[in-house]
Amino acid sequence: MASIEFRGVSKSYGGTQALRDVSFRIEDNEFFCLFGPPLCGKSTILRLILGLEDPDAGEVLIADRPAAGIGPAERDIAMVFQNLALFPHMTARDNVAFPLVERGRPKAEIAAKVADAAEKLHMTHILHKAPGQLSGGERQRVAIARALVRDPVAFLMDDPISALDARLREETRVELKRIQREVGHTLVYVTHDQEEAMSVADRMVILREGRVEQVGTPVEIYDDPSNAYVAGILGAPEINVMPLGRGRTADGLIAVPDAPEGAASIGIRPENLRLTEGDGARITDVEPLGGFTVVTLSAPDGPDLRALLRGQPDLSPGARVGVEDGTARMFFDRDGRRLRMPAAVPA
Amino acid sequence: MTRSPAFHVFRTAALLLALIFVLIPVLWMVSMAFKPIQEWSATGDLLTWWPRDPTLDNFRYIFGERTSELIVALERTAGRPILASLLSSVVGTAIAMLAGTAAAYGLSRFGSGRNLPLALIQLRLFPPLAVMIPVMVMWAYLDLIDTWWGLSLVYGIVTLPFAFWLMKTYFDDMPREIEEAALVEGCSRFRVLTRVTLPMMRGPLASSALLVFILNWSDYLIALMLTTREWVTIPVYMASLSSSMTGQLYGAKAALGLIAAVPPVILGIAIQKHLVRGLTFGALKQ
Repeated sequence: MASIEFRGVSKSYGGTQALRDVSFRIEDNEFFCLFGPPLCGKSTILRLILGLEDPDAGEVLIADRPAAGIGPAERDIAMVFQNLALFPHMTARDNVAFPLVERGRPKAEIAAKVADAAEKLHMTHILHKAPGQLSGGERQRVAIARALVRDPVAFLMDDPISALDARLREETRVELKRIQREVGHTLVYVTHDQEEAMSVADRMVILREGRVEQVGTPVEIYDDPSNAYVAGILGAPEINVMPLGRGRTADGLIAVPDAPEGAASIGIRPENLRLTEGDGARITDVEPLGGFTVVTLSAPDGPDLRALLRGQPDLSPGARVGVEDGTARMFFDRDGRRLRMPAAVPA
Repeated sequence: MTRSPAFHVFRTAALLLALIFVLIPVLWMVSMAFKPIQEWSATGDLLTWWPRDPTLDNFRYIFGERTSELIVALERTAGRPILASLLSSVVGTAIAMLAGTAAAYGLSRFGSGRNLPLALIQLRLFPPLAVMIPVMVMWAYLDLIDTWWGLSLVYGIVTLPFAFWLMKTYFDDMPREIEEAALVEGCSRFRVLTRVTLPMMRGPLASSALLVFILNWSDYLIALMLTTREWVTIPVYMASLSSSMTGQLYGAKAALGLIAAVPPVILGIAIQKHLVRGLTFGALKQ
């Protein structure tokens, strides 16, 4: 039960700058996602929160108190490592009991809490086994139970369910969110899966090469990204970014009468593209997903576009269509920075 | 993969050949150990693989019993050298493993002393014998000649690089997250070592210790130079098993050799199960 705050934190390993002037705040009891491509600094942030590393510059605050000088054991933060890091020489039960044993709790309490955590994660039947005898999913549950068994101020999870198959991931994801709500603790969750990040997070931070790109709720960031990179990293299929010409996109496909000064490109989410009668673009691929259909379009001299259409429209590759967009447009300048439209004056 | 019959034939032949090279001397020693003097001192057609008249005389003889055949009494029996070998090898192994494991762990985790690994391997760049004369002189000053502890100390130093390098590879291969998990879950740095790292390293520790023990156990030259009477070890004692009347006492040597083979074999069997499993079996995701 604690907030976690980064104030201007930098960290480098050897010659590599892992974090550059990173600041953000995780509120108490929040499900907070760290999201970004590999090597963007996600794991470094976790290590700094845990106290396994010290920042080169800046400050990490836990429960609004500076954490510098407090060792990992005293920070009272539980962690599920990406590779799980179970203790191979102990049974699942001893693995789960480990944090309590190390804190010198009475035997009866340990037994009760281990049983409780095992119950929550449906793993009572595997407690007597050694990690080597467990499947990947079972090991994952042992690691999560080891974190849940005590009452830490926050949980950290480094991509904990990446080893599971798609269906089990989804189940575990829902389960984790339920447990987090029940237990009511701050949870910092690292993932590289944008769908996972958007579905579980209360708020999230987008990282890129050790820098914070944007912090906010998933919907805020999706609807109102601060630059082309953030716009591109959330959403599947990816946002269409088209260079701008005079009054239209450079490929002449879409009319853009209202581009702000300095705009170099326009971003349109696939779900905001509509197909019309016309012959500006050619359909190159149709992927029916059941409820939705992804259509790939190619224009004579512009990037390929992707449109996400509802239902299963009768389209086939090779057909020529026109394209029109909805209202939710984003403009970016030459460096990918978002250009905001001046607020419309109500009539 | 399917392999041609020729491959299997060739492989079997190669294995047989290797086995013959390795096993024939050992089997010959076993056979000799149970032969009476007439058989092991014989030549030509009288040499047989199977003892015609098996006896335990050789064993009785080296432990000081008079036998009807070997009338020359031994000046010393095998009891004391066996004790000397056991003491010096075990203590030497303990020294090498303690110091080597501690150094390997420190270096692997905290990275200080970057030249240490090379400095340690330098101990093995030349034969230990090259420094044995200065060591002899020092040991003589320190009154360590012909003591089991003096010999143990040298064994510990000479085999330390093996213990260090073996253990360092294992420590380097251990994923750091396992120790970090223990730190996060409430262990002190030292407690991580005793609760997690060393228990995980049981197998590597046992197999490294076995190797170091065998190196110490089989040493001849160092013991020859550093012991004279009271604490000569099995190999040195074995070399002295001869008499002016019968020359080399092959039967007695074979009997002693058979006894000397017992400790490594027992240790090897005892730690076998540790050697089969990987270090982090089950610790990680997959």
